[in-house]
Amino acid sequence: MISAFIFLPLAVALALALIPAERVRSVVAIAGALVTLALGLALWAGGLPVAERTAWLPNLGVNYSVQLDGPSLLLALVTAFMTVVGLWYAASRVGVTRRAGFMAMVLAMETGLLGIFAARDLILFYAFFEGTLIPSLFLLGRYGREKRMDAAIKFAVYTVIGGLIMLVAIIGARYLSGSPSFELSDLLARRLPINDQRWLLMGFVIAFAIKLPLFPLHAWLPSFHEQNHPSGISDLMGTLYKVGGYGLFRFALPLFPDAALELRGWLMLLAAITAVGAAWIAFSQSDWKRLLAYGSLSHMGLVALGMFSLNPLAMTGALYLLAFQGVYTGALFLSVGMIEDRVTRHLESQEAAQVAPKPVKVKGGKAHREAATTREERHALTIGVVQGMAESAPALAGVTLILWFASIGVPGLAGFVGEFSVFIGSYQVAPWLTFIALGATIGAAAYGLNAYQKAFQGQPSGGWRVPDVRRREWPILAATLTVIVLFGVYSGPALNLIQPAVNATTARFNLPSVTTVQGVR
Amino acid sequence: MLNPPDISLAALLPTLLTLLTAAVVTIIGFFVRRRTVAWISLIGLAVATVADVSIWNRNIVTFGGSFRADNFAVGFSVVLLVAGILAILSSLDSIDQSETGFPEFYAILLYAVTGTMILAHAGDLIVLLIGFEVMSLAAYVLAAFQSRVTSEEAGMKYFLLGSLSSAVMVYGISLCFGATGSFQLAGIAAAAAAPGFANPVLLGAGALFMLVGFGFKVAWAPFHQWTPDVYTGAPTVVTQYMSVGIKAAAFAGLIRLFGTAFGGVSSWVVPTQILLALTMLVGNLAALQQRSLKRMLAYSSVAQAGYIGLAVLANQQAGWSSALFYLAGYTLMNAGAFAVLMALSTSEDGPDIESLAGLARRRPGLAAALTLFMLSLAGLPPLVGFVGKYLVFSAAAQGGYYGLVVLAAITSAISLVYYLRPVMFAYFREPSSIQPILPRIGLGLQAVVIISVIGTLVLGVVPNVVYGAVQSVGQVIAAR
Repeated sequence: MISAFIFLPLAVALALALIPAERVRSVVAIAGALVTLALGLALWAGGLPVAERTAWLPNLGVNYSVQLDGPSLLLALVTAFMTVVGLWYAASRVGVTRRAGFMAMVLAMETGLLGIFAARDLILFYAFFEGTLIPSLFLLGRYGREKRMDAAIKFAVYTVIGGLIMLVAIIGARYLSGSPSFELSDLLARRLPINDQRWLLMGFVIAFAIKLPLFPLHAWLPSFHEQNHPSGISDLMGTLYKVGGYGLFRFALPLFPDAALELRGWLMLLAAITAVGAAWIAFSQSDWKRLLAYGSLSHMGLVALGMFSLNPLAMTGALYLLAFQGVYTGALFLSVGMIEDRVTRHLESQEAAQVAPKPVKVKGGKAHREAATTREERHALTIGVVQGMAESAPALAGVTLILWFASIGVPGLAGFVGEFSVFIGSYQVAPWLTFIALGATIGAAAYGLNAYQKAFQGQPSGGWRVPDVRRREWPILAATLTVIVLFGVYSGPALNLIQPAVNATTARFNLPSVTTVQGVR
Repeated sequence: MLNPPDISLAALLPTLLTLLTAAVVTIIGFFVRRRTVAWISLIGLAVATVADVSIWNRNIVTFGGSFRADNFAVGFSVVLLVAGILAILSSLDSIDQSETGFPEFYAILLYAVTGTMILAHAGDLIVLLIGFEVMSLAAYVLAAFQSRVTSEEAGMKYFLLGSLSSAVMVYGISLCFGATGSFQLAGIAAAAAAPGFANPVLLGAGALFMLVGFGFKVAWAPFHQWTPDVYTGAPTVVTQYMSVGIKAAAFAGLIRLFGTAFGGVSSWVVPTQILLALTMLVGNLAALQQRSLKRMLAYSSVAQAGYIGLAVLANQQAGWSSALFYLAGYTLMNAGAFAVLMALSTSEDGPDIESLAGLARRRPGLAAALTLFMLSLAGLPPLVGFVGKYLVFSAAAQGGYYGLVVLAAITSAISLVYYLRPVMFAYFREPSSIQPILPRIGLGLQAVVIISVIGTLVLGVVPNVVYGAVQSVGQVIAAR
């Protein structure tokens, strides 16, 4: 049943190729994503078994072993939910000729992500981890912006280097520990000597630090987001692809607890630098997508801070943050996509107005296309190229503002619960570092509101009326907002999923006198 | 030796069938059309494959140990026969275009296949040498088959350097015989292990010479110099066969020789490590620079030889099975990649990588297949390339060669850059205005691409279908 949940999106993606009619394809894709989400919810409701296991390469101790419970289930549900949202937007946003391919890639990506969260065998985890690279590469390479090739190469090489280092560490962990298989439970049952743990932990941390990402391994991230499809749908999936935090929690830290404890200070320092440094850089970005890229990098620094602190409260917060930043950062990417859509149309109409009086026959199509690309590069995603949108599009402005509030960590929204727990927990471990990392929250307020102000407030430029949220866009914003508010005020269901796993993990660190958390409900 | 010779026909049957087909094809080539010759060759190889599968698990040793049909040899000869079948299928349509459309082509190809099979079955140094030479001589002719300067140059280069490597090899054999007084692989191992063995230096030197001889055939750096020129110059269908069939056979011989005869000799271990490290670096870094798809695949096959070579160092039980699995997968994915190359070629030089722009629009099926083969060669899951790399890497890690495994992992990541480039051009770039008109894709090439796609996927997703069968090839022999 879990397998059906994991592989249904991929099956739907393949089926899309066989359906001739464009209109039907979109409907099938969205329906498939909805059924997947329903299966996930059924798993949550407890009607279905939560673990599956069959031999894959039995002589080598590789099993197809999946399990969905706790934080894995939470992250899988968020993924399934956001996929529905993304596909819904794609149905009206991506050009009709390329839509089916785009949707197929998004669905394939979903399968990869669900697999990552469900895998309980390290080789299987690696297979999903690397396999997910292919759809995300195609999303970037086929549907991205001008400089997508370079961005794609950078992204691919970073990912694969990290992945292979992790693979070596995985193989090392098994042979050094003498485990009969790559099953997580088998490996957890054997504790390695500290010397081995140190190197293996570094292998895992490098891989996950690239994915998360953490300073100084983040170089792929800004160009990845900047060059992705302007609608923000690919970025949304990319945001969910930040599986590094989950990998740290599920694999790296519990497998090598002594080394994690020993290196805790250094790793927390890296995380704090990432959180504050990225916020600082975000402030000076002029491109919406780069701004969001650095913003989410900053949030990932906080996730890592919570993870590396090994404190149960902070870890809970980090997982909470990881799950819901996927929702609000993803929704922000989509709202940026909506802004881009409007601005592009506006600029096109302006251009047409300018060009119209002149007979343009001389220059032909090519010059026009060149003008269009430079325009796209300079303007459509530049923050504040069109100002004062709030006046004619109050609903879009309001929703965007709430999403930014969630990202800043305003109480009452989902972002707050996670960030606050991270800070409280890591303060108990490293007060000074936590104090520094708090700068990330202040920074978020600065860059977020600054950008909001530039775009939505001020004098409307050129008497242009921005279309407000359209009928098809409403469900996207409404659904994400509901989730953000709901889990901002009522965190219980999510915390119930996270806490038992956190307690089990932290028990491995042999920390003195740790009380198990009850959370900040 | 007055006893009647110890001969088992069953063990010889697949090799004999191949040889018989070769002989028949040589003669009837004068009387029937080329296509008929090709079909007869195909049928012959298919029958040989069936005969081969039928002696699986029988572990026959004949000619007093000189000819072994154990599972290792049988597994490899199935791979070699498949490589031959794929080559013939690929040649069905492309061969007229490449001006190699003489019936003799098939005869010589079949002699090459016979040679590779003898090499895989070899149990002593003489049989090993015979297989090696039959295979090489046929390959020289194949490389020079086309009446083009580059093809003739390729054949000449291959022949000159190849003869040198054969000479080095024969010298190595003579040293080994001098040191131990035996041609039998098992005999050499026994002599070397016996207490009071007098000539360890001589035997060590012999092993080194033979390492060089094989290093040339599998294209390990720095003995790979001929590879790019020969692979580029030779007709593409020959390049395809050399990159899979000849390479797999050379590895079969190499692994058996060093695993059995020189298992107790240590002189070659450090040099092999150096060669492998060099090969991985040189192959991958050079492939990064290439503009032509054919040349890029040539360097890629050098790099792949570095990865497969890890199995030579690994202990027998893990190493032999992983090498067999890797080469089986490699044969499929590399033959498939070359088949796509042939389908895209308007000349024998093959297309530039940049000219693939927009391929996804014009030939969506070919573009998808090319993507699959490239990603598999790069070692991404869930394709066979990943499983192969995983098996070989972990076999080497078990043997304690962590440094080499880390290097292999890093160079694999680098390899992704050049394997992805054709894919990126095919999918992510719009075609330029001038597009060469692509030839019609013949049925033979289509069949090769489809077989390879299925194999790459099936062996990747459910590797146990094959690995479960071959996992014990190292064990059985160890017991004997």
